Amino acid sequence: MKPIPDKNILLFKSCLISTEYPGVESSTKYVFDKLGIEYTIDHDQSCCTGLGHYSDVFDQESTTLIAARNFDIAIKNNHPNIVTMCATCYAINKKAAKLLNNNEKIREEINTVFKECYVDRKYEVDSIDPTENIFHVVEIIYNKKDKLKDLIKIELSDDLKIATHHACHYCKVFYNDTIGGVRDPNILDKLVESCNLKTVGWFNEKRTTCGAGFRQRFVNKDLSMKVSSEKLISLKDVDILIHMCPNCHMQFDRYQPYIAKKTDNTFKTMHINIMQLIAMMMGADIEKVVGLQTHTIPVNIKAIKNEDKWKKINKAKEKLERKKDKKL
Amino acid sequence: MINKKTSNKDDSKLKIGVFICRCGGNISDTVDIEKVKSNIDAEVVEEFENLCSINGKKNIRDNILNNKLDRVVIASCSPISHEKIFQDYVKPLNPYLMDMANLREQCSWVHDKDKSTAKAITLINASIEKVKKSHPVNPIVCQIPESVAIIGGGISGISAALSIAKTDVKTYIIEEKATIGGNMVKIGKVFSPVKIAEECSLCLLNPLINETVWEDNIEILTKTKVISGSRKSGTFSLLLEKSPRYIDDALCIACGKCNEVCPVKVLDDFNENMSYRKAIYKPFSQSYPDAYTIDMENCKKCGNCVKICKMNAINLEEEKELIPLNVGSVILATGHKLFNPKARPEYGYERYDEVITQNELARIMGVNGPTKGELKIPGSKKAPKRIVMVQCVGSRDEKPNAHKYCSKVCCMVALKNANIIKHKYPDTDVIICYTDMRTTGMYEKYYKHCQDNGIRLIRGRPGEIIKNQEDNLVVKVEDTLTREFVEIETDMVVLSLAIESSDGTREIAKQLDIGLTEDFFVKEAHPKIKPVATDVKGAFVCGTAQGPKDITESIMQANASAAKVFELIHKGIEIEPFIAEIDYELCNNCKECISRCKHKSIYIEDKEIFIDPMSCSGCGECLSVCKQSAITIQGNINEKIYATIKGMLKNKQKGEKKIIVFLDQIGYTAADNIGINRLQYPESIHIIKVHSVNRVTPDHIIYALKNGAEGVFIGEYPGDLMYDKVEKKINKLKKYAEKQGINPDRIQFSKVYIPYFTGLAQKFKIFDEKINSISN
Repeated sequence: MKPIPDKNILLFKSCLISTEYPGVESSTKYVFDKLGIEYTIDHDQSCCTGLGHYSDVFDQESTTLIAARNFDIAIKNNHPNIVTMCATCYAINKKAAKLLNNNEKIREEINTVFKECYVDRKYEVDSIDPTENIFHVVEIIYNKKDKLKDLIKIELSDDLKIATHHACHYCKVFYNDTIGGVRDPNILDKLVESCNLKTVGWFNEKRTTCGAGFRQRFVNKDLSMKVSSEKLISLKDVDILIHMCPNCHMQFDRYQPYIAKKTDNTFKTMHINIMQLIAMMMGADIEKVVGLQTHTIPVNIKAIKNEDKWKKINKAKEKLERKKDKKL
Repeated sequence: MINKKTSNKDDSKLKIGVFICRCGGNISDTVDIEKVKSNIDAEVVEEFENLCSINGKKNIRDNILNNKLDRVVIASCSPISHEKIFQDYVKPLNPYLMDMANLREQCSWVHDKDKSTAKAITLINASIEKVKKSHPVNPIVCQIPESVAIIGGGISGISAALSIAKTDVKTYIIEEKATIGGNMVKIGKVFSPVKIAEECSLCLLNPLINETVWEDNIEILTKTKVISGSRKSGTFSLLLEKSPRYIDDALCIACGKCNEVCPVKVLDDFNENMSYRKAIYKPFSQSYPDAYTIDMENCKKCGNCVKICKMNAINLEEEKELIPLNVGSVILATGHKLFNPKARPEYGYERYDEVITQNELARIMGVNGPTKGELKIPGSKKAPKRIVMVQCVGSRDEKPNAHKYCSKVCCMVALKNANIIKHKYPDTDVIICYTDMRTTGMYEKYYKHCQDNGIRLIRGRPGEIIKNQEDNLVVKVEDTLTREFVEIETDMVVLSLAIESSDGTREIAKQLDIGLTEDFFVKEAHPKIKPVATDVKGAFVCGTAQGPKDITESIMQANASAAKVFELIHKGIEIEPFIAEIDYELCNNCKECISRCKHKSIYIEDKEIFIDPMSCSGCGECLSVCKQSAITIQGNINEKIYATIKGMLKNKQKGEKKIIVFLDQIGYTAADNIGINRLQYPESIHIIKVHSVNRVTPDHIIYALKNGAEGVFIGEYPGDLMYDKVEKKINKLKKYAEKQGINPDRIQFSKVYIPYFTGLAQKFKIFDEKINSISN
């Protein structure tokens, strides 16, 4: 396995997490603190361009330029280990670092832009190593999974069926850097197990994409929803689907009621990010830290602790959903 | 012999004859032969129109005898083309007391008139200095034992054994399993390259097995493994471990009574674990030895078999046996294994009984298989209405845990099994999902024949195989020709698994220190022109141990490896004498040399170090690590290099520039090619041919630079085993040179390739210009 850091980490902010599921970021910080991982957040950091890039709004050069800017911020902040909470940020940054290190022409072009804009920034070759400086947050936790076990305070009922959804841009872009399998991805399964829970393991369509496909969700909505519905159908008897990417999370959580209606199905699957699950299992506050109130599908888990609080939150949520449903 | 006498003479008193060839004008039109002759100081200086002719031979020999010449310089064409001829022409002189000055390819063909004459004089002078230091040496002849061990008793091993044994050479087949026959016995039918038909594989193999058994020169050792091995001077010493059969195959009459009374039932691996056998069993009816054996892992030692055996052939307490074996050659015929289908969870092999492999299908279709040849869905008694075959499972796959190569036979295997099904069950729908159909040559006709028989083909790799709500298998695949996604409901799925290197291949390669490819198949000495030799002299490979291939190809390779074994055995091998030797009075057994030898030539036996003359290349790497200076290389090569440098730099004129170039056989051939193609390079370039570039020491280079050479250029073919070593050495030397006050830019290391002679000429030119800029 590649070396994984536990300090000098720049927790790379994600647009989708900040706007859709801020609980993922607060959960990550909570878990990092509990595990004694040293990190910082730099508010100068900008979006990776991912959504825009895969929707043909930002070309590779602008994307690489923005990555170079973010790398420079990380280095100047003395936190050169970039850790992303989103699989797209992960792959976008890795690709940009590879390009910057291996393609002198692009590197020069980008440094020229910095110069022409009078910004005090520069990308030095090999200053960010795509394998040894860029990580997904699950890898940082995976490295500490033994320590994690000791920090679990909550129990969930045994009959919960938990499945995992491994993000494409974590498993299917940089194969050689992926931890826990590419053919049969299981890094999330292993982390769930560290929380004293079991997963269903392999299931039909385990490796199938969430269907979001960035612009596909907007310009090819039928195709996008078809893929998502196939996966949801194969997950019909699953209670919780564990995520590691806000885009997948959003696709399922926000569109599940829509797909249910369209396909005349009922789904019971709840969607939680792995960091939310871990924080929850460590006993974090459901609203203030885990932030489950921002989810569309109410998270209604019979936990041994905090049960009442969830009920309250979820009742309110359900009301809200019913209103939304009518609008749809 | 004259050799002994002359070698003791003082250098200056040696009588040297120089014979200059006009080469029908090729040399004399450009080089002023008269001027050359008047500038050469030698006992005899002769010119001749065509020195390589029979008349030339007479002239050389008469001069040697009449003038009692000690050394000869032939100034003619390149030694690459005529060295062997002139080594013969200088008889009775020792062939290594002659040297050739290359006045054609590296002089008259690359320089114009005014420059080539001076160059010719220099080249001849260098050869004169070199031959003065030459010692008479004789080629070494190695004789190897006339016996062969073949590791693996499949179709490749059997074919090689038969081919060798028929020439009266003792052949041992060492087979780990209880019977010989290998994978071919299981596959039922084979596809025929020319006939558009499937043939019974056992009917083809069985006569070969019988022949192997009857052949007196073949000894078959079943249930036997090589547990250690080493190779010294052309002899392989193997240690074999023979596991007990518990049944004396000389007594057993294979009546099968023991089998009837055995109470233990275990899964039968002959039938891919789809049926049962007893703990006392015979792998299949035609297996050899024609005797039962006991699977001790499962035997309960109840003694029923012992009681019923009338031949008293059973001994439950038999122990394993160690057998030492010395042979002259080894042939690796260790076969292959198949990709583990569990590594593709999306295909559901572990979850669904109806998902099987091609090998399992072959057993189901085999009349001696678990269903006696009746096609049934595993786990049910029904016949399938539809079968989907999935190609390239584990092959042609760029992702991790897969093989990038094509397994070569699976397209034909799938078509064969599909066609057999179509033939017996015409109503069964067979669909093959493929990546590309690879049915080259005559197989294309078979492919067309299968299509005509109604086998359906979809170009696409299934993404996933699932069971739908009706509990039917569904293959999800994109038809990449129509670009449509299809979901095929089916009763059965057959996976075409990749061919992988077998565990046996990896084990024996490790024991004998034989190189493997990145895919763990046995690596050939050269993939193009030495397809059955390995990097260990005397060890050969055939069949799927070397890579995926079909039966026909395996047999061809088996026969080729047999031919290579004859080459070794027939007359022994004659080796160029410039190889390393150990002085045992000096050697202190430090063993430093062993790991340094890239040619795997040095070994230790009875605590003494030996160098195998058969594999030593004479690169001299061991000399540099030997602190005791106990290793020498015959032929006085070190001194000869100094002398040649000295000769090249002799009579250097004021303002003249000389660059010394060291090239081995490959580089020298590339340099010859410059001349053959009549390209030019600066006359400052003076090429010295060396046996191995590694023999050029830092001292040689410093000597050249301190004694008049403006630059030194070392060229090496990157495919040479010593390339990395030499490159590192030169980089180190540059730093050392700097300390000595020599500009390191005066030393250049460069890659050379035979066909890339224009590049070499260009490099000479650039280096010459660089040297100019340095001296200015």
